[in-house]
Amino acid sequence: MTMIRKLGDFAKLAREKGPKKMVVLAPEDNDFMMAIKKSHELGYIEPILAGDKKRIAEAAQKVDFNIGSFRKISEEDKQSISDLGIRMLFSGETPIAGKGQIPTSYIYRSIIREEAKANSGMTVSVVSLWEVPGIDHLIAFTDTGVSIKPNMKAKKEIIQNAVFVFHLLGYTRPKIAVLSGQREVGGTMASYRDYEALKIEADEGKFGDCEIVPATSFTEIFLAGKKRTGDEKNVRKDCVPHILIVPCLDTGNIICKLDFFLNVKRSSLVATSRGPVCIPSRSDKSHNLVEQISMGVVLADHMERKKKVQK
Amino acid sequence: MIMNSFNDILKAAKHSGARRIVIPSPAREDIDVLSRAAASGLVIPRFIGETKSLKAIAGKSPLFPAGAEIISADDPQDALNLAIEQLKKGETDILMQGGINPQVLLDTLQDKSTGLKTSRTISYVSLFQHFSKDKLMLVTDTFCNNFPHVAEKQGILENALNLARTLGMEAPKVAVLAAIEQVNPAIASTLDAAILSKMSDRGQFGKATVEGPLDIDCAVSRAAAERKGLHSIVTGDVDIYVVPEIDTGYLFAESLAFFGKMRSAGVVLGTSSPVIINLPFISADDKAVEIALACLMCRKGKNHG
Repeated sequence: MTMIRKLGDFAKLAREKGPKKMVVLAPEDNDFMMAIKKSHELGYIEPILAGDKKRIAEAAQKVDFNIGSFRKISEEDKQSISDLGIRMLFSGETPIAGKGQIPTSYIYRSIIREEAKANSGMTVSVVSLWEVPGIDHLIAFTDTGVSIKPNMKAKKEIIQNAVFVFHLLGYTRPKIAVLSGQREVGGTMASYRDYEALKIEADEGKFGDCEIVPATSFTEIFLAGKKRTGDEKNVRKDCVPHILIVPCLDTGNIICKLDFFLNVKRSSLVATSRGPVCIPSRSDKSHNLVEQISMGVVLADHMERKKKVQK
Repeated sequence: MIMNSFNDILKAAKHSGARRIVIPSPAREDIDVLSRAAASGLVIPRFIGETKSLKAIAGKSPLFPAGAEIISADDPQDALNLAIEQLKKGETDILMQGGINPQVLLDTLQDKSTGLKTSRTISYVSLFQHFSKDKLMLVTDTFCNNFPHVAEKQGILENALNLARTLGMEAPKVAVLAAIEQVNPAIASTLDAAILSKMSDRGQFGKATVEGPLDIDCAVSRAAAERKGLHSIVTGDVDIYVVPEIDTGYLFAESLAFFGKMRSAGVVLGTSSPVIINLPFISADDKAVEIALACLMCRKGKNHG
């Protein structure tokens, strides 16, 4: 499997691997419906539209999208929409699910239930991928959406989920940095103690094929002991880890959405044991949504292939 | 007049006249930085430490400032104590970290009798020069406080507002950051942010608009905020970002420096004199900006931020 190094790679691959069935949960907003329309036209997905029939029809009409031929599931209660969609993903009926106008916490609740039923041992965490100019691979911040203050147990699961995603993306031995606000003052931070403990476990091979690097800050990652200079000649981009474990939700969410400000591109998703769930932010625009869907399609395809190999 | 760039800060500081800066146990690179700052008329340095080696450096360096004083001290702690004594007496204006261990420095500063502690919270502000437009952004607290509670955050914000006003921002726009823009009792940062925002509504921060909680997309993008139904003059035009705690603050500041390639400077605030400390992601060039920043804070006399 070739390594996916850019978010743009997903678009090309999604055209090759698609269309895949995607259950779309409450697509009631114009931007979101537009993204579904484009993803369908590009051959990524064949949508199954679940939610309030009337609102779905209105949104479709507004973006000039003929939804006559698609399967529709009528349901008005948001938690029920979420439950039935995630159940379809876990039963194998659809390889992808996508969140529309439903609070993300409802989706997480549904996923947690299904994972428990499936006895998969996987928890829910959000992986936010970045494409950064000058860095020749994708980097991911995680968990950027679920755990408010992950403890050691949660961080282990967050690492396992992210490694799972990176293996699917073709990174055979992803490098991981456990980030911390540890600096020369303020004693030893809890986030730094987590790093120390997790590094020992990773070195013992407990997280499978991956490596935790001895760096907890961007200064260590980018300067590796050198000093920052005005011309930035000491900033090195060839040793940036693939997975960045953030200390808490505030940190992860605040940094990963810097794509609204800096010259980076972002795409987020939840990887469940049965397939990807696209969970766009309420502020994401439709082109960004299409990119997230293309990523879901490619990951779903890689998961299907992996399952076949395992069989 | 409002300062919009690091150059504006340097210019304004030079214009306001040279300040006296004291530096205990300076390293060679400190001396180089201060020599350049002295040559440009920003400061008159006073070096405290081992006289013999300092004089040797002075002898060899053609740049060594003519008016600089060298004062003898036996060890770094003595040098620091002497430096603080001089600041308290008003013999010097600014303290630079020099060769002092940063934790020792902060602990000494915090001491009510021997340090530079006032009734204000001691905090650190990182200053960034926007990568594409003429604008300065303040981020706080990015170094001193680990997990400030809301009273400390109030102090941290007041310090930053002081600095912002010194930089000419008349009515600073403040984003108190959190993971989400809604107030959620399960996420403590959103509660603190809401409290600060309400305090601002009641005029407790003077002429300023404090908006919070704001997630980063709403803070940096007016369009994103509007899509979430959040309407505020702060969105898309933030002067001061207040972070929830240090894990976020330190990593956020580093992200702006490395992913955003933004120039960065900073200063310790809330002490009776400005203090410059060494942060690993600040370049030697921008150390001069920190000195200039400290000079500008002195202009406010004993009431500096």
